[in-house]
Amino acid sequence: MQESNISAGNLEQCLKCNLCTLVCPMMAVNGHYPGPKKAGPDGERYRLKDPQYYDYALKYCLNCKRCEVSCPSGVKIGDIIQSARLRYGGHNLRDWALANTDLVGSLASPFAPLVNGVLGLRPVKTLMHSWMGVDSHRTFPAYSARKFSSWMRKQDQSRFDKFVTFFHGCYVNYNYPQLGKDLVKLVNAAGYGVHLLEKEKCCGVALMSNSMGDRARRQGEINLASMRKAIAAGEDILTVSSTCTFTMRDEYPHVLGLENADVRPHLYLLSKWLYQKMERGEVKLKFRKDLHLKIAYHTACHMQKLGWRNYTLELLRKIPGVELVEMEQQCCGISGTFGFKKENYGYSQAIGGRLFDEIGAARVALGAQSDPGFVVCTECETCKWQIEMSTGVPVMNPVSILAMALE
Amino acid sequence: MKFDAVVIGGGKAGCEAASLLLDAGLKVCLVSAGLTMDAESTDPWAAVRAIARRGAVVLRGDTAVSADLKAETVLSVHTECLEEEPLEARLFILATGKYFSRGLLADMERIYEPVFGADVDYIPGRENWYDSDFSAPQPFLGFGVKTDAQGRVLIGGKTMKNLYATGDILAKGAQAASIEAIASEYAGK
Repeated sequence: MQESNISAGNLEQCLKCNLCTLVCPMMAVNGHYPGPKKAGPDGERYRLKDPQYYDYALKYCLNCKRCEVSCPSGVKIGDIIQSARLRYGGHNLRDWALANTDLVGSLASPFAPLVNGVLGLRPVKTLMHSWMGVDSHRTFPAYSARKFSSWMRKQDQSRFDKFVTFFHGCYVNYNYPQLGKDLVKLVNAAGYGVHLLEKEKCCGVALMSNSMGDRARRQGEINLASMRKAIAAGEDILTVSSTCTFTMRDEYPHVLGLENADVRPHLYLLSKWLYQKMERGEVKLKFRKDLHLKIAYHTACHMQKLGWRNYTLELLRKIPGVELVEMEQQCCGISGTFGFKKENYGYSQAIGGRLFDEIGAARVALGAQSDPGFVVCTECETCKWQIEMSTGVPVMNPVSILAMALE
Repeated sequence: MKFDAVVIGGGKAGCEAASLLLDAGLKVCLVSAGLTMDAESTDPWAAVRAIARRGAVVLRGDTAVSADLKAETVLSVHTECLEEEPLEARLFILATGKYFSRGLLADMERIYEPVFGADVDYIPGRENWYDSDFSAPQPFLGFGVKTDAQGRVLIGGKTMKNLYATGDILAKGAQAASIEAIASEYAGK
């Protein structure tokens, strides 16, 4: 008799209750998607028998993990689907270009003004829509002419005797260095210096969702090796993106099979690290009293899965003069590269619709219809692009809000 | 993180308890590891959302895994996501239900409560847990945690001062906690 569960992702624990099907955002808008239960634990039983049972509709999974959050039996539904896509899924040139954020970023960055200009041109967008399948509604985040890592190397941090290591991620490095600078400002104010990893690669999330597991695994190994060196020097690793953090803590071991138990406890989002330091009285920060921000907080999917939203909310509540409302915990629909693909644009917007309406309603409820001090706050960069495009409301990472609030 | 009360379990019993504690003005944290079916709503998160809207901190999809005890008092609870960060409180309510919601776990030898290691009232010997006649009353459905006359949970035969049980996790015949009475008692403290 088999006495304990031995299946990958706990698939044997699935009782077919269908609660995951009920909460799946894709299921609600797309009849072609079989849903988390069927795509995950049910389909896996067939795939184990014969890989020809792999269903290409699994490409519709957003990897939002909201199925796992709802599962009363602890089945890793999202992991099962993600692993199946890595094993059996395929990709085309468009997917390759969208997924290699690191490579494309370092190619585009030196020519940033030119690339940004060209990508914004109507004929180019039309061409990319029809030829490459990148939806013309989308605008790529602008590339920065100067990489964050180049800026950081010029910063003198020698006045500190305690340090953290910052995993900046692709978005901070190639597109939005200001967010990285905000983190440095905050961490410095907390009395810590900032180091970079010896070698940093993209966390690999976009590679994984586009079925490029081997490349993601190689990048993961490089990141983990550099992180181990930083941790050996007594430094915690800080990040600003919920998705990078979630990928490196949980998808590395569960989906890529990378052993990270020694690194995992040292890998923080800034808000968790700062909250704990402040609660223990190790760090004291003074916030301005004249920052009158009205904030609608959106829980990004991977933030939900991490279960760390309360760290951010508690920190934001420490800022005097901030009015904070929490949006219902639901997906914005973009799911990284998913929403950039033209065949997914409709689904993407249909999923996000309820959130966009709620943000609009929150703006009215806070009396901020024409108020420039109304922002959406979230830890995810692709949620930021989606919500800004769809609602016109500026979206800020909590790190930037906290840095702005410093006295 | 510090609260007046931590409720473990986001099902019917846990949500009702959290609601009564909020009525009494307590600062509440509700740990809800996954969903439970609600016959009254097609919106699966409706019950816990209502609790969150009233100002409680709701940890959706997080699971309580262990507790820190000192003598007969619970000091804090740890969860899967918050790891080393304890949920500290004066009052703890155990409402994690039975087997389906993993409030009770069974292995080959025993039936146990995984968060606190609370005393479980059950008949030893796996063959005594069920009746092979499918439609006969099944003994395992009557197993559950032991409580004292006030609904306080027993651990190692001793009554815990600030840990109460309510809902399906209770053994057949065990006293459920009167949350209203507890709420007003703690609101006064």
